[in-house]
Amino acid sequence: MTFQVAPPAVGTGEDLRPREGQSRWLVIAEQECRDLWTSGRGLILLFGFSVLLSAVTYLTSTNLALNFLEQRESVNLVLQFAVAVGVLATLVVSADGISGERERGTLETLLVTPVSRRSIIAGKLLAALTLWFATFGISIPYLWVLGREVGILEPALALGFCVGTLLAIGLGSIGLLISAASNSNKTSIVASIFLLLILFAPTQLPSGLPQGSFFEVLLRANPVASGLTYTSSLLVEGHGWTQDLSYLITPLLTAIIAGGALILAGPRLVRLTRGVSGG
Amino acid sequence: MTNITVEAVQLTKHYNGRTAVEDVSFSASQGEIMGLLGPNGAGKTTTIRLLTTVLEPSSGEFSIAGHPSTSPTEIRRSVGVLPESSGYPSHQTGSEYLRFYARLYGLGRRAAGSVAAELLEAVGLEKRAESSIASYSRGMRQRLGIARALINDPSVVFLDEPTLGLDPAGQYQVLRMIRTIAKSRDATVVLSTHLLREVEEVCSRVVILNRGRVVVSGSVGEVIRTALIEQSAELRVPLDLIERARQVLAAFPDLSIDQVEEQPDVLRLAMGTPGNASGVGSDGIMNAALVAVTAAGIPVLRFELEGARLSDAFLKMTSEAAA
Repeated sequence: MTFQVAPPAVGTGEDLRPREGQSRWLVIAEQECRDLWTSGRGLILLFGFSVLLSAVTYLTSTNLALNFLEQRESVNLVLQFAVAVGVLATLVVSADGISGERERGTLETLLVTPVSRRSIIAGKLLAALTLWFATFGISIPYLWVLGREVGILEPALALGFCVGTLLAIGLGSIGLLISAASNSNKTSIVASIFLLLILFAPTQLPSGLPQGSFFEVLLRANPVASGLTYTSSLLVEGHGWTQDLSYLITPLLTAIIAGGALILAGPRLVRLTRGVSGG
Repeated sequence: MTNITVEAVQLTKHYNGRTAVEDVSFSASQGEIMGLLGPNGAGKTTTIRLLTTVLEPSSGEFSIAGHPSTSPTEIRRSVGVLPESSGYPSHQTGSEYLRFYARLYGLGRRAAGSVAAELLEAVGLEKRAESSIASYSRGMRQRLGIARALINDPSVVFLDEPTLGLDPAGQYQVLRMIRTIAKSRDATVVLSTHLLREVEEVCSRVVILNRGRVVVSGSVGEVIRTALIEQSAELRVPLDLIERARQVLAAFPDLSIDQVEEQPDVLRLAMGTPGNASGVGSDGIMNAALVAVTAAGIPVLRFELEGARLSDAFLKMTSEAAA
């Protein structure tokens, strides 16, 4: 076998020249999406979600038939489930973003390219968000089946998309920050899931949070609980769009603050950990 | 005029109170292969990470291909790096992997495909271009890593233990590639390795690090001379001519001549220092002695040089520094 490794005959044609203005974060996002969706990880998550969503939809339909649930409640339940799983999937993929690259030994090769660390995390966040959009897309037919007769399909879809996207951006950013700050991928993923469970716990209390100003503050400070409270107030209680709009402040602030922190502070956290090599 | 492409000046890096490298200074020129040697933990990988802007130095300066350390993006455009124990996305194909990196350097899709195909061919992986990296052997992965390091046609290539874990054939292939990179691309190659014999063959300069400090740098010959390694040789001649050989060799005052035990037809020639007062190197004196023996009509049945190899210098310099 002979090796030539001579300089490639590139750099002469226009298309062969480096394009300085090209958005490298989009290249990262494209590759991350390809890795996510062709490696099977994304598809397995979606498949699992579809099975669970089918089961939840079936159960809510059964409860509807038995008059345990109103139709509006069943739409809200399925929507909340879709948001929860979509955000969870986004968070898990984000939590693997940097710490996973470190553990697989692929981060250093990325860091020695001219791509900025900010572009790396922006590309990874965008790729992780595709999981949320995919789970939301899958839930549309289920919501249509449940919501078409009571005329809340459109508001349910709009609400789910807005609240879910805000939560996915916010928690996905937090997941990436945790991942960048963690030395171990396991720690990053466990910490992220734990955070999500804490945030979702209040929404799963059978009778909701107790009444009182303290619990109201707790509810409003929790982006997941306040976002889902807003969807419930519109879909189940029939409130107007603007009536409980203040519940959207926390999800919106979470997306802005966590996203901003990721873009501003994230690059400093994207680094190799000490002691990777002995040399 | 030599074109300096790598210049490190008093580079220091502290990690959490521990000093990884301290006052590391050296330079390398265009087209040169420079060996960065040292025992485990000597600071080789940290030095490479500093020079490739993955880590920021605590103090000191450096420049790569004319770009100062204050321009990390420009430096990263000019270097190709094969990190130690580099990982690979196993589900990607070799072609997909290289295309992705080519695009990170700003190439369009078509150009990235062309460059990837050329480099895969150059490293002998063209038939496996569409196979997943999971199916590659370690040697193939290292070759793929070298191809990736060349994707931007770099001025300086850093290879951190490129032969680690490879069988002798794989090591030979990689070393041939390194020679070609320096020769045909006129790129500077900074090679971190433990294979001292190979370094002796391919590197024009070496820097030996120990405990984060440069203990010696220069050409292989300079390093050996600095280490003051004693060179010796064994000379075997017909038994009846052994005394005649002794008489001939007596003309070389820098040589000490001893009989090898239980081998009456073998003489051991040794030098106290790698050079002598006249400035002639030990190689030159040994050669002259050999020429004199043959000129005296004494058949040389065996002549073996010992010592004065880079490995001897390496062991001496690193053990002295550790003491």
